[in-house]
Amino acid sequence: MIVSILVIFVSGLCAGMASGILGVGGGIILVPVMVFILGLTQHMAQGISLLVIIPTALSGAYHLHKEKLIHYRTAFYLAVGAVIGTILSSNFVQMVPGKLLQETFGIFIIFTGLKMIFTKSKKGL
Amino acid sequence: MGEKFKLTISGLLAGIFSGLLGVGGGIIMIPIMVSYFNLSQHQAHATSLAVIVPTAITSSIIYGFHGQLDLPIAINLAAGSILGAAIGAKTMVKIPADQLKRIFGILLVLVGLRMVSL
Repeated sequence: MIVSILVIFVSGLCAGMASGILGVGGGIILVPVMVFILGLTQHMAQGISLLVIIPTALSGAYHLHKEKLIHYRTAFYLAVGAVIGTILSSNFVQMVPGKLLQETFGIFIIFTGLKMIFTKSKKGL
Repeated sequence: MGEKFKLTISGLLAGIFSGLLGVGGGIIMIPIMVSYFNLSQHQAHATSLAVIVPTAITSSIIYGFHGQLDLPIAINLAAGSILGAAIGAKTMVKIPADQLKRIFGILLVLVGLRMVSL
């Protein structure tokens, strides 16, 4: 029990750090960790991931707000679209079989990984 | 097309992606902001986090409504995640992290292959 609490906590810690340092969300790490290490279904892992992303993003946004890096006007219009988009897809995804969803997620992270390997990050604040 | 409309459509794509895969959607938004809206990489990253908050709240409610949430696991993961994000965000402003990205990219490809082959 204590071990599993520790495993879960450390998974979260790593995901949060990677999120801040690499500019990728915690979800891309959290979902595979939950599926492979915690043994959850793909749907459950994605649901939990989204919930965990809320405080993580809030915390990250708070620090970057202090660095004056958030462009709020841009964020507003993106958020309007994003909320509409996720209402559509979060409902749709419940009808997708778990295996197909896991494969889709796998393809997504393969592309993300390749992109990270071959793209040089743009410099400059 | 106005800039507001283009941003909203970009957000729509990111939102669909986010709900479908249970991720934030920054991976879609950040390159769009850098390439088409003249934000720096760091500004785009920061801005995407601000977008992710309301988006993830919305998707979580919907996933929860469909019974795909486990609150104790989420709270425990989040506790680690908040601490990690605070450390990470501070570090992000200071380091370029190119090398780290490459290593992490390889790891992702391997995990992805494992998920596809199941």
